[in-house]
Amino acid sequence: MLTTLWLRVKEIVLPERLDRETQEELAQHLELLAAEKARAGLDPEEAQRQARLELGNPQEARERLRDGRTGSELDAAAKDLGYALRQLRQRPAFTVACLLTVALGVGASTALFALVHGVVLKPLPLPDPGSLVRIYDSNPGKGTSRTGITTGNLADWRRRVRSFRGIAGTYTMGRTLTLGGDSEAVLSAQVTEDFFAVLGMPPALGRYFTPEETRRALFNNAAAPVSPDPVLVVSHALWQRRFGGDPGVIGRSVTVERRPMRIVGVAAKDFAVPAPDVDLFLPWGLPETPPRDQHYLTGLARLGPGASLAQAEAELRGVASALSAEHPRTNEGWSVELVPLHEDTVGDLRLTLLVLLLAVALVLVVSSANVALLSLARSLERLPEASLRQALGASRGRLMRQFLMEPLVVSLAGGALGVLLAALGLGLLKRAGPGVPRLHEVGLDGAALAFACAATLLAALVSGLPAALRLARTEPAPDLAAAQARLAGAGSRHALRDALVVVEVATAVVLLAGATLLLRSYQRLQAVDPGYQSQGVLVAPVFLDMEQYGAGGRSRAYYDSLLERLRSLPGVVAAGAATALPASPLGPDFERPVWPQASPGDERTRRSAWVRMVTVDYFRTLGMRLVAGRAFDASDAPEAPLRVILSEGLARVLFPSGSAVGERLVVDYSSAGTYPYEVVGIVGDVRFSGPRAEPRHEIYLAHAQRPYLVMNVAVRGSGDSRLLAPAVRQALHELDPAKPAYGLYDLAELSGATYARDRYLMLALSAFAVVAVLLALVGVHGVLSHRVRERTREIGVRIALGASGGTLLRWIATQGLRLVLLGLVLGLALAAGLARLVSGLLYGTSPLDPAALGAVAALPLVALAVSLHPAWRAARTNAADVLRAG
Amino acid sequence: MAAEKLELLILKTLALEPLHGYGIARRIEQVSEGVFKLTLGSLYPALQRLEKQALVAAEWKASENGRRARYYRLTAKGRGRLQVELEDWARVSAAMARVLKAT
Repeated sequence: MLTTLWLRVKEIVLPERLDRETQEELAQHLELLAAEKARAGLDPEEAQRQARLELGNPQEARERLRDGRTGSELDAAAKDLGYALRQLRQRPAFTVACLLTVALGVGASTALFALVHGVVLKPLPLPDPGSLVRIYDSNPGKGTSRTGITTGNLADWRRRVRSFRGIAGTYTMGRTLTLGGDSEAVLSAQVTEDFFAVLGMPPALGRYFTPEETRRALFNNAAAPVSPDPVLVVSHALWQRRFGGDPGVIGRSVTVERRPMRIVGVAAKDFAVPAPDVDLFLPWGLPETPPRDQHYLTGLARLGPGASLAQAEAELRGVASALSAEHPRTNEGWSVELVPLHEDTVGDLRLTLLVLLLAVALVLVVSSANVALLSLARSLERLPEASLRQALGASRGRLMRQFLMEPLVVSLAGGALGVLLAALGLGLLKRAGPGVPRLHEVGLDGAALAFACAATLLAALVSGLPAALRLARTEPAPDLAAAQARLAGAGSRHALRDALVVVEVATAVVLLAGATLLLRSYQRLQAVDPGYQSQGVLVAPVFLDMEQYGAGGRSRAYYDSLLERLRSLPGVVAAGAATALPASPLGPDFERPVWPQASPGDERTRRSAWVRMVTVDYFRTLGMRLVAGRAFDASDAPEAPLRVILSEGLARVLFPSGSAVGERLVVDYSSAGTYPYEVVGIVGDVRFSGPRAEPRHEIYLAHAQRPYLVMNVAVRGSGDSRLLAPAVRQALHELDPAKPAYGLYDLAELSGATYARDRYLMLALSAFAVVAVLLALVGVHGVLSHRVRERTREIGVRIALGASGGTLLRWIATQGLRLVLLGLVLGLALAAGLARLVSGLLYGTSPLDPAALGAVAALPLVALAVSLHPAWRAARTNAADVLRAG
Repeated sequence: MAAEKLELLILKTLALEPLHGYGIARRIEQVSEGVFKLTLGSLYPALQRLEKQALVAAEWKASENGRRARYYRLTAKGRGRLQVELEDWARVSAAMARVLKAT
């Protein structure tokens, strides 16, 4: 056993020595036989000749022994590799073209796969994520769907519903955290009992809240804790950022809104519920009789063992309808909707990413087809060589292996480069992907690398196999001249190449059609008037606290003096504030029923309106249009009659017969009563959450009359809003150092973010389409060039027989055009089929938009131009040269 | 000649004493009275196969004429195999003879 092992090792490590020994042994054998023959009387030379004749060619024996050694396979592969590398080096342009094509294909598809995998396919990083659901309240009768749940109903659900292992609610708001004299506005989540138990992620450090801590954690109506010894859990990110990951943080006291709170735990790393950027978690005990008409909680639940989503939803709906009967005043018409948490987190991104993935797959098809075309063209040049080698005894398998080595080398190198590109691209995608959930979970993980390997091997196979098959089909040729003659005749066997070109063109057409559709849709989105001018406006969300600013007119006084300071800053044109700004990330945002005071206030005349408290000058700061009446001014003081300004759309439905200005409007504050307001003005509608959503019905109340603690402060500058940031920060600090803003935002950027996804999809698809079109054109050009080269003789004969340059030009160009047109028709048919898929992503654009599809038809013109080059070369052929050479 | 038959002949030849390649070829030729003439291309690959199965072992030794030569000898495993192959051969050839005579 050991000896054979040693033999094998020697065969691999010392093949040259074994070969030398073999040679010696064989030579000796010959010599001994020759010597014997000489002893028998032959002269030495004749003896040697006869010995050789008898024993056969020692060289052949040597070859056979060499083949019998371990590692001879490896050796052959190494030779093929060396041969492939030499071939590739001799043709740098071809090599680089193939390499880049594969790298682009593999890189783009891998980056996008990683994105889709991380965002859509991978389960949420929570225990048993499949049983987690989001609960929404819905009131179809009022046209309200998927809104927040109420604390009052939550308490009843927890008591009555059996299908869940736990139900919890949370509410996110900004709070100021003060640590070592340094204040920071952060996002905090108040969480009801069982919140952490429902999600099931153990804390990174310390513990979550005890039932006792949660029960006594009560808040007043301004969300300030009123219990003694308040506790909190901090996020893993905050623990790292502000405490340097100090394990001694448990038990330490931090100041939240001027009140000391004790840290009891650090949440799990990457805990992203209710949002990844929440830094503080506060326990939240529900009061004795929590309200049932304030829909602002994020509802979460975990299904019990064996309970299905449908079952749980049915049971919860039953309880909801029972509650409607018990509390008709608040619960009439309200029901629930359950959505799996994964679907809720990923949302409508699924379609966008699937379209992108499809696009990338198409690019991969085009790039592989292109490499296949290039190497097929290459292989035709090598047909004579293949024939000759076959004639010299190379087996077909061996030839195949040799010719497959080249695309394999190119694909592997291209794939490696592609992974690098994917890493780069992923970095870009992650940095530039606003509004994409779970981005922090995306990376080049094992799944992505496996995908890259698969894509690379696929590219190698697709690109190499046609050429290798073509070469291995060659017949052995007795000599080079015969091989070349046969090559000239092979010109008719074009089916494979033509098919590849048609596929390439069709794929490019599909991508081009998709990109054009998205471009049209994007142009229409951009053309939508948002109802405000976002350029040059800086937004600063500010949260005041109850302790300091709750009483009397302190909040009003704060915002009055802040706006006064801001208006006096150099470069500031206007400043105002609103509880919720269009596209702003934060701010209290709620609906109330309203109706004209002169009407009965029943179902027919009631409308739901979004309520915003705004300061003087807010409309001017945002550049909103005053349609009628006036904006708020100093006369809308606390003691003056209550006044309201309506959005244009709301005014039209509430007061269809005439101007609303001067009319009176009732606002229903539910448990807080109803109040009549005098309408003093009408402003233009705004697209509050981006151009895709229709304008909402809005009422604006004067902040002086309805002071609020949380406001989005807007400052319009004469130039770039970013230049105002330091002065705005300074003004905030001077007024109250404990109240920094929750970031400073450029309104144009916020507003752009509402359709950023459309822009990215459009740009990505356009980039893919451009790559695909370029590759397809390269393919058309390459195929025509080769056809011309192969038919040099035929062309020569035609010229000799009197064909003019023009005729030849037409002849070649027609051939190219035929392929392109075929691809165009096929591509358009495919595009029409796939258009249904993208229709969900389009805005104001039909998936069969004639202008978009018409633009695609320009492709044949470009292709015609491209095919002219080889045609022109053909026309210049010198007939005499060609015929003489043949 | 079929490869297995050649290998059996080599094993049998080496059962008497270790020989170098030329010696093996001469012995087989002489004993078969010139029926089996081995070429380099058949003998040495067969030896390589046997060596790889550890049925024979090879080593360089000084030969009768004083030069070094590669001597092949039967290993214990090779002896066992030879026994099996001989029995097999006896059985098969007897059976062959019976069948061929019967027709």
